[in-house]
Amino acid sequence: MGMAIAVSAYDNLSMDELRRRLEEAEDTLRAIREGEVDALVVRNPRREDEVFTLEGSTSYHSFMEAMDLGAAAFDDSNRLLYANKALRELLHLPDDTIDASHIAAVLDEETLVTVRGLIEAAKQTKQTAEIAVVVDSREMQLLVSAAPLQLGVTRGLAVTFTDITAKVRAASAEASERAAHSIIASANEAVVVCDTNGIITHANAAVSAIYNGNPVGEVFSDIIPLKLTDSTGLLQTEDIVSLAVSGTSVQGIEAVASQAPRVKDVLLSAAPLRVGSDKVSGCVITMVDLSQRKAAEKQQLLLMGELDHRVKNTLALVMSICKRTASTEETVQGFQAAFTGRIQALAATHNLLADRSWSSISIAEIVSAELDPFVSSAQARLKVEGIEAKVLPRAAIALGLVIHELATNAVKYGALSNETGRVQVKVTRNEGEAWLGIEWVESGGPVVHPPSKRGFGQTVITRSLQYTSNGGADLEYPPEGLRCRIRIPEEDLVAA
Amino acid sequence: MQDATEFASPNEPLKLVLYVAGQTPKSLAAIANLQRICDENEPGKYAVEVIDLKKAPQLAREHNIVAIPTLVRQLPTPIRKIIGDLSDREKVLVHLKVGEE
Repeated sequence: MGMAIAVSAYDNLSMDELRRRLEEAEDTLRAIREGEVDALVVRNPRREDEVFTLEGSTSYHSFMEAMDLGAAAFDDSNRLLYANKALRELLHLPDDTIDASHIAAVLDEETLVTVRGLIEAAKQTKQTAEIAVVVDSREMQLLVSAAPLQLGVTRGLAVTFTDITAKVRAASAEASERAAHSIIASANEAVVVCDTNGIITHANAAVSAIYNGNPVGEVFSDIIPLKLTDSTGLLQTEDIVSLAVSGTSVQGIEAVASQAPRVKDVLLSAAPLRVGSDKVSGCVITMVDLSQRKAAEKQQLLLMGELDHRVKNTLALVMSICKRTASTEETVQGFQAAFTGRIQALAATHNLLADRSWSSISIAEIVSAELDPFVSSAQARLKVEGIEAKVLPRAAIALGLVIHELATNAVKYGALSNETGRVQVKVTRNEGEAWLGIEWVESGGPVVHPPSKRGFGQTVITRSLQYTSNGGADLEYPPEGLRCRIRIPEEDLVAA
Repeated sequence: MQDATEFASPNEPLKLVLYVAGQTPKSLAAIANLQRICDENEPGKYAVEVIDLKKAPQLAREHNIVAIPTLVRQLPTPIRKIIGDLSDREKVLVHLKVGEE
């Protein structure tokens, strides 16, 4: 076994002297290996000699043998001088006559290149690398450190091999645990993890909508009592938890969390939690916020009821229009024209309301929808002012009919029956009045005479808005033109 | 430690230097074993000097001492080294005799 001897010494040495030194070096290594020495002279970085000893009953050698860390020493020519017990066991190396080839045999080609490079670089300064090796079909992650070692005049390398397989696995387990945590944390649903006793061990942020406080450590069924909506009362929250803990998944049960601060309607699911083995170590409970869905369902029910109500109202209105029109019109043609016009007026308002999902519509829209068949609002003879206020469907339908009757009358007898007449529609709102006033003022038409008999149109105008005491309409017949004051009840006005 | 034990000798004695490191077990064993070997032989055959490198590490340089304990046969030349605690008596004696004649 060769030892590097200080280069300067080579020149003056005889062959015999070289051989003697070689023998001596080999003997030194043998003595170290066999534990015959318990102190070494080590040259420190200041090139001073220091004695390194291990006092007590444990010799340096047995210390090296006893340590957990796999350790090896290489000489300057990369020959293995020594490998301790931990390393021999780690890499399944033979106990004696061990050399570098035994270590190389454990490494695959790529790893061997890594380790060789590491050892070469470590002659200058300490190097560290992670390698993967397979020993007896067991895959291991090793941390290899190599540092220069000066033993007297001999330069070499101290190399340690640390088994970090468990640490790497723990790190990857920790990473997946972190991933699981962040998945739970970022879930929109409230997620609660319970142990086998139903005690909460994890809860994500969404749980705060259901329980106000820190749920961890509490018994789930105590702090989040749920009423299961479709159950007979036989199934309770704690039963859901114990079902899940015993290995049975429960899915999609609607429940009401009556004590929840924000979300009360939830869709409850619970599943057994299995980590690693098949053994159930708890359960995972998710609660999906059903508030919006519940609200949508309520809205739908409401709308269906409303629709039913409206259809009945509308049919009653149509029947009444039909009957009253028939009683005031003298000919079939007259009936047909008047009835069709009124149904169309009704339909125009309905269309507007349907477009807005039966919410509110503006008075301006109602007026122009009803006047469109007769006169464009763009024309100079129709002036519409300040009627941007919005009204509820009930008032909209009534107002639509009133405007239709006024327009029909104006076209037949009033300001829109000639080329010069004008109609002005404007809004008046006076302090202390429980209604919004709409004034229909005709001018420039033929001279007006009050009607001799009350027609259905007149009835529609004056009564349509009388469903409340705040609503209604008054007609006046001054000779210069018809006037109508319509009162939209304030309860049917919608704040813009 | 100049704990040298001089053995009186009519002939040229074998000059031995034992390098130890304080009171380590192997150092103490080496001193005891060397003492026994000397006692078994005729007085004056060996001139022994014990050097404690713990106290004077710089003295290691003279004989290129790496491992401790090490026994150096300084005279007659060539120098021979016996590394270890000298418990193998036969081996020690063989080494001490090599090149003696």
